[in-house]
Amino acid sequence: MNLLPTELTEDELRLQSEVRSFLEDRLPAGSYPVQLGIGGCDPAFSRDLARKGWVGMAISPEYGGHGRSAVDRLVVVEQLLARGAPVAYHWIADRQSGPMIERHGSEAQKQQLLPGIAGGELSFSIGMSEPGSGSDLASLRSRAQWRGDRWVLNGTKTWTTGAAQATHILGLFRTSEDRHGGLTQFVVGCDTPGLTISPIVFIDGSSEFCEVSFEDVELADEHRLGETGAGWAQNTGELVLERGGVDRWMSMFPVIEHWAGRLAADDSVAQSDLGTITARMWALRGLSLSIARLVDEGKSPVTEAAMVKELATGWEADCVRLVARHLGRAPDPTSPDPWERLLARAVLVSPSWTIRGGTNEILRSVVAKGLARR
Amino acid sequence: MTASPDPDLAAGVREFFAGSAAEAAADFDRSGRFPRELWAAAEQLGLTLVAVDESGGGSGGSLTDQLTVLVTAARYAAPLPLAETALAAYLLASAGVPVPKGPLTVAPVNTFRLDDDQLRGTARDVPWAGAAGLVVALATDDDGRSRVVAVDPSGYEREDGTDPAGLPRDRLTVEATAVINADTELTAADLRARGALLRTGQMAGALEAIHLLTSRYVGERVQFGRPIGRFQAVQAHTVAIAQAAEITAMSTWRAAAIAARRPARFEAFAAKLVANESARTAVRAAHQAHGAIGMTREYPLHLHTRRLNAWQHEFGTERELSSAIGAAVAPGSFSRSVSDHDPDIEVP
Repeated sequence: MNLLPTELTEDELRLQSEVRSFLEDRLPAGSYPVQLGIGGCDPAFSRDLARKGWVGMAISPEYGGHGRSAVDRLVVVEQLLARGAPVAYHWIADRQSGPMIERHGSEAQKQQLLPGIAGGELSFSIGMSEPGSGSDLASLRSRAQWRGDRWVLNGTKTWTTGAAQATHILGLFRTSEDRHGGLTQFVVGCDTPGLTISPIVFIDGSSEFCEVSFEDVELADEHRLGETGAGWAQNTGELVLERGGVDRWMSMFPVIEHWAGRLAADDSVAQSDLGTITARMWALRGLSLSIARLVDEGKSPVTEAAMVKELATGWEADCVRLVARHLGRAPDPTSPDPWERLLARAVLVSPSWTIRGGTNEILRSVVAKGLARR
Repeated sequence: MTASPDPDLAAGVREFFAGSAAEAAADFDRSGRFPRELWAAAEQLGLTLVAVDESGGGSGGSLTDQLTVLVTAARYAAPLPLAETALAAYLLASAGVPVPKGPLTVAPVNTFRLDDDQLRGTARDVPWAGAAGLVVALATDDDGRSRVVAVDPSGYEREDGTDPAGLPRDRLTVEATAVINADTELTAADLRARGALLRTGQMAGALEAIHLLTSRYVGERVQFGRPIGRFQAVQAHTVAIAQAAEITAMSTWRAAAIAARRPARFEAFAAKLVANESARTAVRAAHQAHGAIGMTREYPLHLHTRRLNAWQHEFGTERELSSAIGAAVAPGSFSRSVSDHDPDIEVP
């Protein structure tokens, strides 16, 4: 076991209260449609947040970022998620693509893309899964072929969240038949000819999910991210950022907060359920914070991050049940009460929480292998 | 800032219990004889009154140090009333009473009636009373004030019993003059919170033990031509146990760091709830992964799973702890209770 407890420093506590007051002012209750987790696309909000220095926090100042720690970023995003703030526009770029480009990109790519990410101007989507490649990602068939002076991309990416509003897609393509060593990442502008983005209607009727098809999409070599064939390794290293964070277990927070504020004083069953939820979330927070601290120490706790995501997403989905059972009826997705609509969506979408970002089955294999190496 | 266990203390304590506890645990399980030599050795090393000031007869350590000892002792199933002694010491120290050497225990809150110095009443489920030099309790006097009281073995009749782990848990009928009767600021909720935290630490140790036992077993046991740990269905069990151990240990250290600064009922109850849930998951998973051998008394898994089965039900029922937290999460304070380091949440 590698995880040790940690506490917030004075500076981190100051940041926390600064974020709180900013959000109370910028997002007063009732002024915005509350989201479950990282839904809700509002470029203006993303830019306002960026002006506070809270987008692209991990990016170096020389590229327009803020060189802040993983713990600082956790402190900011937990306040955003607790309010169901509309963070989707900048989310992927802030969490994954920005740090990935800074670590593996060319100097020109860093100068061209990172200031826009840190400014909340650019929105990224991740193009990994394909119709035939989900959990077995290394089997992907979308191809990038070098034609002497340019790359030509063909194939289909799917479950590409947010592609319809993104400015860029960071996609993983096959550049040789070597299973893991034949994969390469490319940064593709969404306005590139040959690229077609089609929304897929999600189970709750929303359309953030997309299919992205590439038909003879031509790219200059400067769109390649890192070495040819290094795409798999680049992604493996970033999984800690994607899996260990608080965003994996905070989707229900606004709904729980709303519900908790209205419990009858004599409803001890509901109070008991709220206590169960609160205890679990308090405990998960300790794990996520500790993972962020390890990342700041230069470590890569991949096994721990997978362990936390697997546990947390299961508990998060369980929260939906614990809250929904007190409504007294099946929640109505068309209810005039926005909270009931949100709960209805949660019931529908919660099975996706243990699928996205690595299914729990895959995560258990990752953890088991990691533990066996100890 | 850190709230981590001191690595030197952890290593020393581990060395002590690794060398001595396993045999004592198996022997106690067979004979039920209190391991006086093991206790004396632990006392000699200052492991029995860790968090008591040196002026009060203890080792002057922190609550985290105290839990480091409890986690490790439970990791090796040491059959000693270390948590009970620590809890009794917590009560005595709160009243400014020097803490005597030797095993101590605590009776449940408000089971004794206090009339002047006379204690009367029947206490059920008093752990390790047969070994304890004093039974300490929190009582209320005629004016409704909290008192720390104690009786020695001459003051009660004892009826032997055990918990599901086979550890002693006796019924005491008390009619005697209290040998200690002193004012305290502590409430029943404080006592329950400290007891819950100490048990949580022990549960973290037991969970670590079953994690190690299960990992080893599924790596060695071969069926269908390969170690069963290669099967994904079995891996799911080992992962669930690892998660249970990790989150319980983390919750122990976090709650201990805060409880050292201020009353930490929220953190202690939350940690205990998580420990209970983790124990249920891990006990099932460990037995399932082990198959029949894990159900025997000859294989050591039972030393830990039986303790986890017993400890889940102590220092508040699940319902009491979760309702107390739920009732305290006031409008607007759910998120803050999770993300604040010092959540302003007053658990009754």
